[in-house]
Amino acid sequence: MNSSIAVPISPNAKLNDQEMLRQSVISLSGVKKAFTSPSGESIPVIEDITLDIKQEEFISIVGPSGCGKSTMFNIIASLLEPSDGSITLRGRDPACGARIGYMLQRDLLFPWRTIIDNVCLGLEIQGVAKAKRYAMAREQLARYGLADFADQYPSTLSGGMRQRVALIRTLITDPDLILLDEPFSALDYQTRLVLEEEIVSILKEHHKTVVLITHDIGEAIAMSDRVAVMTQRPTSVKKIYDVGLSRELGSCLKARSDTRYQRYFDSIWDDLDIQISGAEQ
Amino acid sequence: MSEAQFYTHTIRAGSIKENDEQRTRSSFITDNLWRVTGIGLVVVLWQIGVMTDWINPFLMGSPVGIAGEAWRLIQSGQLLNDTIATVYATVVGFLLGSILGSISGLLLWFSRTTARIIDPFMVALNGLPKIALAPMIIIWFGSGMLSKIALAFVATFVVALLSAYQGTHQIDRNLINLMRSMGASRREVFTKVVAPASLPWIISAFRLNIGFALIAEIGGEFISSDRGLGRMIFVAGNLFNLNVVWVGVITLMIVAIVLYVIVSQVEKRLLPWEQGQR
Ligand SMILES: Nc1ncnc2c1ncn2[C@@H]1O[C@H](COP(=O)(O)OP(=O)(O)OP(=O)(O)O)[C@@H](O)[C@H]1O
Ligand SMILES: [Mg+2]
Repeated sequence: MNSSIAVPISPNAKLNDQEMLRQSVISLSGVKKAFTSPSGESIPVIEDITLDIKQEEFISIVGPSGCGKSTMFNIIASLLEPSDGSITLRGRDPACGARIGYMLQRDLLFPWRTIIDNVCLGLEIQGVAKAKRYAMAREQLARYGLADFADQYPSTLSGGMRQRVALIRTLITDPDLILLDEPFSALDYQTRLVLEEEIVSILKEHHKTVVLITHDIGEAIAMSDRVAVMTQRPTSVKKIYDVGLSRELGSCLKARSDTRYQRYFDSIWDDLDIQISGAEQ
Repeated sequence: MSEAQFYTHTIRAGSIKENDEQRTRSSFITDNLWRVTGIGLVVVLWQIGVMTDWINPFLMGSPVGIAGEAWRLIQSGQLLNDTIATVYATVVGFLLGSILGSISGLLLWFSRTTARIIDPFMVALNGLPKIALAPMIIIWFGSGMLSKIALAFVATFVVALLSAYQGTHQIDRNLINLMRSMGASRREVFTKVVAPASLPWIISAFRLNIGFALIAEIGGEFISSDRGLGRMIFVAGNLFNLNVVWVGVITLMIVAIVLYVIVSQVEKRLLPWEQGQR
């Protein structure tokens, strides 16, 4: 299984050289996962994932629905144990290797906490003093245009706003590695484009390493340095594209209008081999 | 195209009743008007029935008689004393039972094994009419206030425990996963997720428990007591003094309503995020 094939379309040689020098933040080698069904049989979900994610890299994961992408995130975040294989994390924290900011698939705001207290959750667990974490949270909320909602409860916010809050909550603890599981799925198209751009620039500015799961091929191409395409369940890495358009052109919007964008799109679409009806069970 | 006929329909400001608040306020007034009229009608017909010998006041009591007894009992201070005794025992037993029960139910979250082991006992206790324990409890605690508190306690404890424990089971696993991914300890998961997420279940048990505590307390007073509304009703009933029975029953209804309103107010305070969702 060749998990990291050469770039099919116009590789950026210079970028690759730099990449070779960078340290990897996380490496998965031969990770497998099988769940046990209620009747006792083992259901393989992850066949084999071997993947090396470098510092400051933005990598997207695209794959068929239900193939095991969220499961892979749960394993990286050590919420699940792999059935086989190993994961190495490298980061500032000697205890756990790297501090991980995980934005789960749904926004998962705590309904009994106000917006500001939701944003502060990670800081609270880290033991940051109340005055300090509130100041940090207010600054971030203002940055995302949510300052007026700080003291409201999540139920009063729109889906898009809630997702933004969840995003702030993930970023505010300044993690080494950021896992985003379909963070923009509840947003309308325009908000999505604006937020894509913003996220990429914020993450670059702070030299963050990001793994993004998305169903939106265009989003993956527009934002990422690399796009990993997964196979059906039991999943493995089918292909990796060294895209890097947004980094090269300096903006996701420009990446979307580049000529290479459409070629990547078509190629990934073919890889995904999406069947409209009668998808295999 | 055939010759079509055109209809016009204009929507003007104020033509659609969209102001919920205004509507509920006006319906609040008319609803209460109907209620008062209904009660008034029953009372008047009842009194007319008594005066025209259609209704036997010896078996049913009479509005005028009830009012007279109520006035007498208020003046002598007996009604107040009995009410205080009943409310005190009920509230103390209710609070102890509901609070300790809820805490125990929440703590069971920490140990699935314990929960599994005691589960059948809890179900059995929950099904048992607590008043069946009254003779025993009165033997142990005497016929005074203490046995009534104990009765209200047992009547509410198990309900609160089961409800809180059930609450801990309804929690979205992903919330706990999120906490763990942030490095939260088990204790933090408990205080920041499990306890607040179970609060709606706890509050609903409190609501139910008002009724259960009152039933147990009054039942205990019927069996053996030296004061209280239950005793007042029981004694008057034995003497066929139906008017006094009615005074006791009406007072009890008022007590129940007041307690219910208090719990609702506490709920509003404790569950601010659920306001406006109803
Ligand atoms: N705890 C579990 N026990 C048993 N099966 C599970 C469990 N968690 C996930 N699965 C199964 O594993 C498969 C992969 O699930 P996962 O959520 O990782 O998919 P996904 O790629 O994230 O899908 P989507 O794109 O729809 O979010 C699914 O078929 C799911 O039913
Ligand atoms: Mg998923």
